[in-house]
Amino acid sequence: MKTKKGFHLRNVCGEYVIVAEGIENIDFSKIINMNESAAFLWKKIDGSGDFTTDDLGAYLCEEYDVDEATAKADAAQLVQQWIDAEIIEE
Amino acid sequence: MKASEMGKEIKTMQMANAVLLPEVVRLLEEGHTVTLPLRGYSMRPFLEDGRDKALLSKPESINVGDAVLAEIAPKHFVLHRIVSIKGDHVTLRGDGNIGVEHCRLGNVKATAIGFYRKGREKLDSTDGLKWRVYSWLWLRLLPLRRYLLFAMHPHIPRRWKKKK
Repeated sequence: MKTKKGFHLRNVCGEYVIVAEGIENIDFSKIINMNESAAFLWKKIDGSGDFTTDDLGAYLCEEYDVDEATAKADAAQLVQQWIDAEIIEE
Repeated sequence: MKASEMGKEIKTMQMANAVLLPEVVRLLEEGHTVTLPLRGYSMRPFLEDGRDKALLSKPESINVGDAVLAEIAPKHFVLHRIVSIKGDHVTLRGDGNIGVEHCRLGNVKATAIGFYRKGREKLDSTDGLKWRVYSWLWLRLLPLRRYLLFAMHPHIPRRWKKKK
């Protein structure tokens, strides 16, 4: 998988949000908001080409005090949400 | 933070105007347009608190009758209608207000180019007939505004309430 082009993580008012650069209009009624750990993963993978769910799990284990199984499950859940939000693609 | 808290869900995020609106202004200056959920009652009867959204763009020309986002004091923004421009001096009045605010032309940070009302996807453009007819009518009803607003949204005026 890889991140779609043109989506950039920005810090807006102390919140991590994904802003689509190519998109002319920024809709504050529908923004993709990320918490600290999701933003951490996004920074890791953005622009780095292909990544897998396991890569995300490994990054989580490096950065946070979490066991591998939990990290993998959480990464899989996050990937599904990012697919649903249409900010990453196969 | 637990990794399991990463879940994204659809929720409402409230941000302080003093923080959010400078960010909105910055995005407008970068050339984006911004859709902004509206809060407050000062643009009644057309716009309703928590229900409607404004589509904003960087002002190209600033004219009497426009609904604009203006910084009337440092970090204090209003989305109100311009009722007069005299040189650099701009006077604003919310459609749902009786009183006015003042600012300079340079404090007019955005023009509302339309509104999304009542949860609809379709924009009510400020170039459109609906907004223009509403504006024409509502501005002419200014002498009666106090009574019309009260008839539409009955409440006990604060000045009649007993002081505690």
